[in-house]
Amino acid sequence: MVGPLSWLLASLAVLAVQASVLTLQSPRLTVSSSDAAQLRSEPLSLAHKVTPPVELRATDTLKLTFQIVDEDGKGVQPHQTFVRFYDEVTGEEGIQPVKVTAGGKAKLELNMARPPSSLPPSGKDPIKVSLYLGSFKHDPAQYELFDLFVPPSQPPAQHADEVFFHPRPEIFHTFRPEQKVPPKFVSAVFTLLLAAPWVVLLGLLAHIGPQVPYLFSSGIFPFIATLGAFEGLLVWYWVDLHLGQVLLYGAILSIPTAIAGKRALAAVGERRLGKSSPK
Amino acid sequence: MRFLRTLLFPLVALTSLALARSSTGDTVLVLLEPSLKKENFSIFFGDLEKKGYKLTFRSPKDTTPEIIKDDVAQFAHVVVFAPETKTFAGDITPQTLVSLLSKKTNLLLALSPKQTPLSSLAAEFTLILPPPGTPLISHFPKRDTPATVVPVEPPRAHHIISDGLAPVWFSGVPQALGNSPMLVPLLQAPPQAFASDADSDSGADALVEAAEKSGEGLWAGSSLSLVTGFQALSNARATWVGGIEIFSDEYINKEISKGVKSGNRQFVKDVAAWTFQEANVLRIDTVEHHRVNETLPRETYTINNQVTYTAYISQYDPELDLWEPYSGINDLQLEFTMLDPHIRTSLPPVAGEPGKYSVSFRVPDRHGVFKFNVDYKRKGWSYLSSTTVVPIVPPRHDEYPRFLSAAWPYYAGAFSTSAAFLLFVALWLAGDEREPKKGKGSKAE
Repeated sequence: MVGPLSWLLASLAVLAVQASVLTLQSPRLTVSSSDAAQLRSEPLSLAHKVTPPVELRATDTLKLTFQIVDEDGKGVQPHQTFVRFYDEVTGEEGIQPVKVTAGGKAKLELNMARPPSSLPPSGKDPIKVSLYLGSFKHDPAQYELFDLFVPPSQPPAQHADEVFFHPRPEIFHTFRPEQKVPPKFVSAVFTLLLAAPWVVLLGLLAHIGPQVPYLFSSGIFPFIATLGAFEGLLVWYWVDLHLGQVLLYGAILSIPTAIAGKRALAAVGERRLGKSSPK
Repeated sequence: MRFLRTLLFPLVALTSLALARSSTGDTVLVLLEPSLKKENFSIFFGDLEKKGYKLTFRSPKDTTPEIIKDDVAQFAHVVVFAPETKTFAGDITPQTLVSLLSKKTNLLLALSPKQTPLSSLAAEFTLILPPPGTPLISHFPKRDTPATVVPVEPPRAHHIISDGLAPVWFSGVPQALGNSPMLVPLLQAPPQAFASDADSDSGADALVEAAEKSGEGLWAGSSLSLVTGFQALSNARATWVGGIEIFSDEYINKEISKGVKSGNRQFVKDVAAWTFQEANVLRIDTVEHHRVNETLPRETYTINNQVTYTAYISQYDPELDLWEPYSGINDLQLEFTMLDPHIRTSLPPVAGEPGKYSVSFRVPDRHGVFKFNVDYKRKGWSYLSSTTVVPIVPPRHDEYPRFLSAAWPYYAGAFSTSAAFLLFVALWLAGDEREPKKGKGSKAE
């Protein structure tokens, strides 16, 4: 007798557990301003979200009241009655447990003048508000209640090293401006000015009409040539050489220059002596 | 090289399908507390051994083998499956575990709702644990397991955890994360889950009071992390797992729903792969710098030079045990620094040359000792850092602009002087004396 009866009781118990579903009775949403004027008051639907979304200003208060009942209509206090605030765009979340009496009556008050710490940091995007009912004895239930707009908050505090984990702003160096060069026309004018003494010199020389009969003689020409080579070495130094190189080449070149110079002076001296000694 | 690889890969694939090596070593020390049996974790340990790891088992109270001997880490990785051990042997202290990280040894640690030395060590990693004795529970979804055994959806589109895994069974403590950027959450709690020590509905009031307490209040929601990775500056990785049962054979074989196995096996394989430096491991092979039209580097560069900097980066391929060039970083940055960065510019990958990142820029017009600084840190990837010191000198006396147009008058003057001197010498040496012409105005008389 005990066997089949206990089997029957067990199956009834299982059926009872399986069928114990929690629902909300008379859920109500109220938004009131700081001077107790009711801005919005309406019952909540469990089937779909409340439209339009709820907007709270910095001084408003949101009140949410409901009663949790099981399928017999009796009020229950489940283990978990949480309201979840979730910002989908930033991923910030806050969980607020709701105070429920033993008879299942629940009230949540959200005063924006003193916001609860569970309200996550948010920007301009809506916060999705949902309700979770969890219990050891009954099946769990969750409802999407409404979207909430609150005044934007400070962003969450960042760790000092967080900056290094993202690309950092680029830095460009401001270079000193290029040195300005005076216009080429001015340089050209002054170069021409420098040519002016040459005009005078060449003109006067033409007037005198000097002659250089001994230029290609063997005494004079080597010296003129080595002097020309020295000038060439200096031009080469200006274009390409370093000081060490020009000093070396100059030292080498100075030997034939000195020899040629002595010969040239001797030739000039001989010429003079030859002229002055009467013959 | 590529030809050898095409030959090698099928051979390697034939020999062992799941051979995947770590880039830092194969030796693993498993600290298994005596109350846990090795056979209960046979699938997890078997998968590790199949990959090629050499596991050494030790009880936390044994004194050998030591984890650090003569200041040298003895193992490449250490797995601490001692969630309820309150006293460890002398060589395992929070300080030695942290020094293991600076010796580049990776750690995998399991926690439990009991208070142990490991829970206070977790706080050093900015993980905030709930009070002792409050494991994670969730009433959602409706299931036959107790509320403390929670199925958790693994993250989607995560660069460490494989995509498309079935939900993972978890039981243990959740961790609230501090805002340290070195933390890498690997498994977030479901939004309906919370930490509680209750086992009946009468605990509801305690929950509300916990939330109203100032301080941490209530551990709840999807901001909690159940498996958290931490990458230290030495690139060693430490993963904290909220409960050890996630590795157990029982949870691996448990079905999520009819006919669908849980995702535990692949999930713990991915967690171990990341922790043991198989996945997401990068390194800089070499860096080069030279002037734009040259190939060899110089001892010093001059201000306003155009300089090219090149970095070669590879990623570790665990299946082939090779470092392969990797061009997937598109936000790498180079800083040219003397005390403060003077230039920070992006270092883009060079198209057509895998692994090569290069940028050319103009050296600032300040001289001094600069350094090329690459410092790349991203969650979940190895940290890359390289510093090359290079002096920048002002131009030498002959490196300034020459032959300026403003100097034309001076050139003309100098050449005039030389020419006039040569003309005079020629006239004087080679010229002839002439009788003054008897002409008008001469003083011939």
